[in-house]
Amino acid sequence: ATLKLSHVRPQDTAIDVDANAFAADVQKATEGALKVRIYPSSALGDYTLVQERVGLGAIDMAVQPPASSADKRFQVIYMPYMVKNWDDAERVFAKGSPIRQTAAELYAAQGIRVLGAWPVYFGGVALNRDIPDVANPEIAKGAKLRVPPIKSFQMTADNIGFIGSPLPFSEAFTAVQTGVVDGVMGSGAEGYYASFRDVTKFYLPINTHFEMWYLLINDDIYGELEDTEQDALNAAADRFEAARWKTARKDQARNENLLAEAGATLVPVSDAQLDATAAIIRATVWPEILDDIGADWANDVLTKALQ
Amino acid sequence: MVEIALLAFAVLVILLTIGVPLPYCFGAGLMVMTLVGEATMRGMMLWGFSQLTNPILLAIPLFVFAGTIMSVSGIAASLLQFVNVFIGRVRGGLGVVAAVSCAIIGAISGSGLTGIAAIGPLLIPEMERKGYPRAYATALIANSSILGLLIPPSVTMIVYGWVTETSILACFLATLGPGLLIMFNFSAVNMVVSRKFPLILDEPLPIDRMIREAGKKTVNAIPALLMPVIILGGIYGGIMTPTEAAAVSVIYALPVGFMIYRGLTFKTLLESGKESATAVGAILIMILFSLMLSQLYVMENIPQSLVDAIFQITDNKILLLILVNLFLFCIGMVVNDITAIILTAPLLLPLMTALGVTPIQFAAIMGVNTAMGGVTPPYASILYLGARIGNVKFTEVVKPAMMLILFGYIPVVILVSVWPDLSEYLPRLFGY
Amino acid sequence: MERFFRYTLTALIGLVALFQFVQVITRYVFEMPLMGLEEIALIPTIWLYILGSVNASREDTQIRANVLEIFLKTDRSRALLQAFSDLISIVISLWMTWWAWKYFSYALRVLKESPTLYIPTIIYESALFLGLVMMTLFTSWHLLRNIRYLLGLRATPDHSLDPDFPQTDEVREFDVLTDIRKDNNNG
Ligand code: NA
Ligand code: NA
Repeated sequence: ATLKLSHVRPQDTAIDVDANAFAADVQKATEGALKVRIYPSSALGDYTLVQERVGLGAIDMAVQPPASSADKRFQVIYMPYMVKNWDDAERVFAKGSPIRQTAAELYAAQGIRVLGAWPVYFGGVALNRDIPDVANPEIAKGAKLRVPPIKSFQMTADNIGFIGSPLPFSEAFTAVQTGVVDGVMGSGAEGYYASFRDVTKFYLPINTHFEMWYLLINDDIYGELEDTEQDALNAAADRFEAARWKTARKDQARNENLLAEAGATLVPVSDAQLDATAAIIRATVWPEILDDIGADWANDVLTKALQ
Repeated sequence: MVEIALLAFAVLVILLTIGVPLPYCFGAGLMVMTLVGEATMRGMMLWGFSQLTNPILLAIPLFVFAGTIMSVSGIAASLLQFVNVFIGRVRGGLGVVAAVSCAIIGAISGSGLTGIAAIGPLLIPEMERKGYPRAYATALIANSSILGLLIPPSVTMIVYGWVTETSILACFLATLGPGLLIMFNFSAVNMVVSRKFPLILDEPLPIDRMIREAGKKTVNAIPALLMPVIILGGIYGGIMTPTEAAAVSVIYALPVGFMIYRGLTFKTLLESGKESATAVGAILIMILFSLMLSQLYVMENIPQSLVDAIFQITDNKILLLILVNLFLFCIGMVVNDITAIILTAPLLLPLMTALGVTPIQFAAIMGVNTAMGGVTPPYASILYLGARIGNVKFTEVVKPAMMLILFGYIPVVILVSVWPDLSEYLPRLFGY
Repeated sequence: MERFFRYTLTALIGLVALFQFVQVITRYVFEMPLMGLEEIALIPTIWLYILGSVNASREDTQIRANVLEIFLKTDRSRALLQAFSDLISIVISLWMTWWAWKYFSYALRVLKESPTLYIPTIIYESALFLGLVMMTLFTSWHLLRNIRYLLGLRATPDHSLDPDFPQTDEVREFDVLTDIRKDNNNG
């Protein structure tokens, strides 16, 4: 059988290379019985839609961020400032960790099985102009940031001194270029280098969120595979994830350098500033989001995750 | 699967020629793909519907609505009089007034019909009084009306940018150069042709009266002239997105139409609202079903297979460009502009990219070809509307229209294909 | 019916313009963009598209390339062609409606919510199925009119065509403009 696998980045990007390696791995392990065809660049729809389509079995597989449109509880696995640095992230998001267990349960309710994960980066802010003291979360900067239409991002922007402006992704580049907004939040160095490098003049790595993509397969389609094929898929997924944990940090640094080479200034952020930002977000954004998605359940998840 | 995709396309074209509405033609293509081939409709409605939620599409109804309000309200008439003061009294000048007024109206409206609808009823009788044959005047204004699709904003470029994921602002700029060139061509052709007409010329005004007249008409036209400034200035000046600019132009046109030019009444507003919404509903339901079909094509890897198949025959760039232009010309003969883009852009763009034609240059190639489709028979909506407005038999309008297409349009079509800078220079200047 | 569509469609398109306008003002003038406004705006937007299309089916102004029709000489032959194309349209429309029904029941089961205001998206997701049902019904109505004319039960065709002044759907859309301008200006 041939499985269709969707991802959100163009050809030859890090994820595309890894996804193709995964596909080759699977094909080799099953001696060609199982093939994986890659659909890059969201050719089958944006990730929200693809998640639904995987749930329906219209698309077999995807590797992409979790989408909360079908179940708002998904927000708990990408709470802003849940982890502040890579050491935190490797512990909290490790395979078999409580948060991964929660992710698996949330996806399972959508008819989707999680095969593995692909840590991407820590998010930051790309700016088209110099803003004084921009890393200080306590001062109002009077700068508009394009935020994805997700409540936690909008609130994060508003609570650390920016003005969050919800604009669709399709209009984001033009909006930054023409100055409708002063910058973008919601992605990381890699995403900004891919889509915004010509308009990014300053990059602020304040680790807004830890971006984790999950390797997904439709539950029924997985169930119909031979046992040996399931094993091959799982083994390949493990290698796919393990390899990425080894390179993710370096890959983030590499993308920050690429942004710098493209003419952006990297704004230094101190640990104190990071801590202050995290404290603000945990005090202001968290309570509201947790209320939205069921405070008892969500607190329980977060407590276990952060032990 | 390529064979089944081609079968689906063939069924689509057959149904189209017997008059089945386009959304259902695409629906038939979907039926062939899923009932004959192995593609699945599962989750397809979900996919198609989610595409409709893209806010950029909203610019289409709003630009159409703004254009409609403008033509019923008298905003366009004031523009016409403004242009007329400056060139109306020169020999052959009225023809130039037609082309230039349509271009300015094009900077407000996103549709190719607004020009002829808004100034045809005023200018055709006036041109006839001054000695132009009625059929010629009608053909000239109808042809110039197409500039609405080439001077930004443009509904066809929104659709093109959306289906090909190209920057809409860049697409707008891509057709601006060719559009202006066509305006000059029509003016030049008009100056030559009108030498044969028994024109009645008004006495040139004495210089002081001319200045006074110009002042008066300019003041009168300022609220109208502000519209393109707000729309294009707003978009390119970083104040708003194209969709928001379209909305602002609607909100702006209302008081201007009601209170300043006074052509707008509650009754005509209701009519305009209903007509715009209906036009847009018809466009979007067609787009919805066509997108589902092209998504099935993508899932089955059809566009890439087609490119490979074509390259097996030839990879000669000039030859393929000529063939693509001929193909687009034929498509333009039988369907309208937006349909032509929906039908062909997703299939042709991979081929163009493989040939080294950028999506922006291809925007201009598609733009001029599909806009021209509005005046090429047998299916020539803009010419039909012209015939009705000018009260001239359609068959009589065709001859002068063909002459204008041949000398005004075709040279630009060729130029756009062979000279990338004509379409790419302006977008590059703006950083795209 | 005409009245309903006239008021509803104008209200919807006006509302949609207003939402966008408010967003520009709050962002650019007050520097305080409203959170979730675009989620609310989606409701009138989608219904505008779908009801606009339903009205196009009602008025029989869906986009079509009636190339063949232009060459037909008699009202009768044109009515025959129209009836045939109506019939095909209904078959396809029923098939599309069936798939839209599946989507509708899926949406009802999942009951998605918008990302910031948690508005139930079924409010506009239901539009596609309901719209396609109405479109199928209106197309059937046109088929009936054509058949009645062909059987001699109706004096005039569903719509006739003047070869000297051919019409297309876009031309019909602009009828209002030409009529109004003619009254005022075209002496
Ligand atoms: Na225009
Ligand atoms: Na044509």
